[in-house]
Amino acid sequence: MQTFQELILKLSEFWAREGCVLQQPLDLEVGAGTMHPDTFLRVLGPEPWRVAYVQPSRRPADGRYGDNPFRLGKHHQFQVILKPSPLDVQRLYVRSLEAIGLDLTQHDLRFEEDNWEAPTLGAWGVGWQVMLDGMEITQFTYFQQAGGLELKPISAEITYGLERLTMFLSLSQSIYEIDWVEGIPYGQVRKQEEYELSRYYFEVADVTFLQSQFEGYEREAKRCLEAGLVLPAYECALKCSHSFNVLDARGAVSVTERVGLMKRVRDLAVGCAKAYVESREQQGFPLLQGEAREGIVTEVADVAR
Amino acid sequence: MSRGEYLLEVRSEEIPARMLEPGVKELSTRVFEELMARGIAPSEVETGFTPRRLVLILAGLPEREADREEQVMGPPVRAAFGADGAPTQALLGFAKRTGLEPDQLARVTTDKGEYLAATKKIAGRATREVLAEIVPRILTGISWAKTMRWGSGEGPWVRPIHGIVSLLDGEVVPFDLFGITAGDMSFGHPTLSPTVFRVESVEDYRRHLAVRALEVSPAERRRVLQETMLARAEALGGRLVEDPALIEKLAAICEIPGVMEGKFGDAFLELPAEVLSTSLRDHQSALTVAAPNGDGRLLPYFLTVMDRPDDPAGRARSGNEWVVAARLADARFFYGEDRKTPLSERAEQLQRLNFHEKLGTYAVKTERIVALSAEICSQLGWGSVKPQAVDAARLLKVDLTTEMVKEFTSLQGIMGGIYAREDGAPEEVWQAIYDQYMPASADDRTPRGRAGQVVGLADRMDTLVGIFGLGMIPTGSKDPFGLRRAAQAVVRIALEGGLTIDLEAVAVKAASLYGDRLTRGAEQILEDLRPFLYDRVRYILGLAGYAYDEIEAALAAGVSNLPDLKARVDALHKVREEAAFLSVVLAAKRIANIVKDAAETPLDESLLVEPSEKELAEAFAGLRADIEKAAAAGDYERGLRRIADLAPVLDRFFVEVLVMAEDPNVRRNRIALLQAIGRAVSRTARLTEVVVDKAEARAKAG
Repeated sequence: MQTFQELILKLSEFWAREGCVLQQPLDLEVGAGTMHPDTFLRVLGPEPWRVAYVQPSRRPADGRYGDNPFRLGKHHQFQVILKPSPLDVQRLYVRSLEAIGLDLTQHDLRFEEDNWEAPTLGAWGVGWQVMLDGMEITQFTYFQQAGGLELKPISAEITYGLERLTMFLSLSQSIYEIDWVEGIPYGQVRKQEEYELSRYYFEVADVTFLQSQFEGYEREAKRCLEAGLVLPAYECALKCSHSFNVLDARGAVSVTERVGLMKRVRDLAVGCAKAYVESREQQGFPLLQGEAREGIVTEVADVAR
Repeated sequence: MSRGEYLLEVRSEEIPARMLEPGVKELSTRVFEELMARGIAPSEVETGFTPRRLVLILAGLPEREADREEQVMGPPVRAAFGADGAPTQALLGFAKRTGLEPDQLARVTTDKGEYLAATKKIAGRATREVLAEIVPRILTGISWAKTMRWGSGEGPWVRPIHGIVSLLDGEVVPFDLFGITAGDMSFGHPTLSPTVFRVESVEDYRRHLAVRALEVSPAERRRVLQETMLARAEALGGRLVEDPALIEKLAAICEIPGVMEGKFGDAFLELPAEVLSTSLRDHQSALTVAAPNGDGRLLPYFLTVMDRPDDPAGRARSGNEWVVAARLADARFFYGEDRKTPLSERAEQLQRLNFHEKLGTYAVKTERIVALSAEICSQLGWGSVKPQAVDAARLLKVDLTTEMVKEFTSLQGIMGGIYAREDGAPEEVWQAIYDQYMPASADDRTPRGRAGQVVGLADRMDTLVGIFGLGMIPTGSKDPFGLRRAAQAVVRIALEGGLTIDLEAVAVKAASLYGDRLTRGAEQILEDLRPFLYDRVRYILGLAGYAYDEIEAALAAGVSNLPDLKARVDALHKVREEAAFLSVVLAAKRIANIVKDAAETPLDESLLVEPSEKELAEAFAGLRADIEKAAAAGDYERGLRRIADLAPVLDRFFVEVLVMAEDPNVRRNRIALLQAIGRAVSRTARLTEVVVDKAEARAKAG
């Protein structure tokens, strides 16, 4: 029997040994670990990067008031970025499964095509959903584009769904029954939060306030970009994205509005991506090492433009 | 031990199932073509694939290309020798370049005179060299549906490449691809036999695969999966619900064709079989097992693939069963929620569901379908079907508001039918709802009952007229509303159901039901919709084995309803090869040429002069009533045969009579006679559209 936090500890330890920066969750509401700046921005440009972190991920529309044993409005992802993707990345991933206690000679592990696309981030990638004994346990993606920019080098992104994986390893019948730590079930830690967040997102959230929040953060993001402040601009863009998600869960976004709002978030993300690459270039791409540096600096700057 | 055997194995990360077959086909075809163009085609080509391997095996390869001789043209003879007969500078230069003595050069005569030429021997290249050059180029160029880059920018290819075996008769044919060097090392299954192994020959490769239970032939994996599943289902006391498309997909996602058998809780059998099998198929890629008595009930088992030969610890099974239980619990929840409200009470929710922003909600679409269904019943004289068709039409789209259809869109229609049945609707009504999207493909059946045919027609005609009415005609591959499929379904329902209905009248009614929502009028819509429907008619009748010109000839004579059209095509098809009929066809073409610009005139018997024109007029008068009677009775074959009876008199007429007589009255009268005959013979099919091989026609007529 594996606890929720043991899983986090083992994955953290494994990927730390592979040279990943063990980052902490972003302290803002995001829909997925991909939106953390240590993924979305760091995959841009020529600099190498390895990072791993847990990211609480909010999908307001998926909330079920704590009633549904399989669905959550907020779940936890374990996110890994390896840039450039090493040729043995699949092998590393398989070893990470062994590190959390799976004897793969006894299981059925398959990689089935599942390409990833995030229109609001101007991002897409190619990859698989990883199926263990018929259960999707991981999303595995080679990023091809982010913020509307072609990527080079290519990053591999590995995203484990922590609740599902823990549930599956213990064959629990409900998310709320898995142990966070021995003796304290997940439900004791989070069920009330699921209930209250569902009520807020579906029934209580003030539409006018959310709309003004969207507009306000959009303005703020643009001001930050003009002031050359990429990271605050990106945080404001994430705030817009979350406001949009809550509006959507609240049923306040019509089909026609939807396209327009998504485009506005995308424009901010694309603006941030460009500004980030320029900012790193001005800093001389500090993480870049070796003799190829000069050439790559020019080449990437061209791509960014 | 040289047998000309080449083994190529490309190992990569998992290639999407849908791309494997076309990828390996392109690889083998292009390699074969390039070898053939060089005269070194293999005698045998074998291909294989797994998600992680593309395999190409060639046998009977010649060792090398044949040596060739190539003629290199030199200077003209007159410029090659001086006045004294001594070689000129031009000759000496050419000889030097080709490495030959002047007296070894040949003389060749061309259009421009006599030239000197050197024959160069070109040694054929070794097959090994050719393979090393073409294989990496062809591999790089495979046109994958989607490609990617990896690492520092390698690619583009379908997935990162990890290793290549390239062996000709045991020796490596070296090349590099995306930083990987081809050699003789392969790799086992990633979790069950994760080590490298050296390959010495094709035979050795097969042995290595067999030891590791790896099967690179997709056909063999399909066969094993299918046979194992059939046997398992039987052992479970039922029979497999076969699904060849799913088996094909499963065979493409494994290297080892292992069958995973699982059980789900008996309580889930309360769910309709359609829901169980759709959830298991869509979410779990699993097949189901039917109860043996054939009443459509399922047994609580599912079968799918696992990429391993067996499951001794039962981990794959317990995992799959856990996932299936969660999925079916979801489905049961949706089903329970949906059943709380009868369909009739849900109907008002359609007001909040948009069909198309300009064409209104599903609520207004429903009103139109109801009215159009009633109209279709009236036109067909199906008074007794009308109440059922109208009831079905009212509930037709309501299942779009159910949780089950939101989760499994492929169940739309089917769920509505099931819920209507549970709500106590009569069989004709719930079946009409259930069958509304049939036929969904070429091999799907059309709706079972008459009410189903009516609403299926009404729904699709409403959509076709609506979208055409906004001027959005499908072009090329752009058909976002699936209008081609809708039109095809309309044609098939009318033809297979024998619905003698005027689709143009239905379209006009459909347009009127839209009120002022459309930007184009009924006439304008028909101008585009008519050819669009006729294209589907051509396609479907073509599939049924009718020739292009038979269909064109029948279409050109006008269409009142599709079963009638088909009867005329069929009659033409049966008589067209008969000699007398062929000569009438030729005559019809002549008539059409003669009368094409002439004004219509009545025939005046008193102006008939020549015996053979009198004979023709008489024969025609005798047959005319019979021809028209046969056509009116729908006995088109007899009608066409009667027309063929005119052949001898028509032929004589054209030999003996000059239509363009000097006397204008006689001329006009002869044209009038031909006009009358032309009209009568072209009622069933415009005979001028029938293609005749002239030589063949003469032979048969002669």
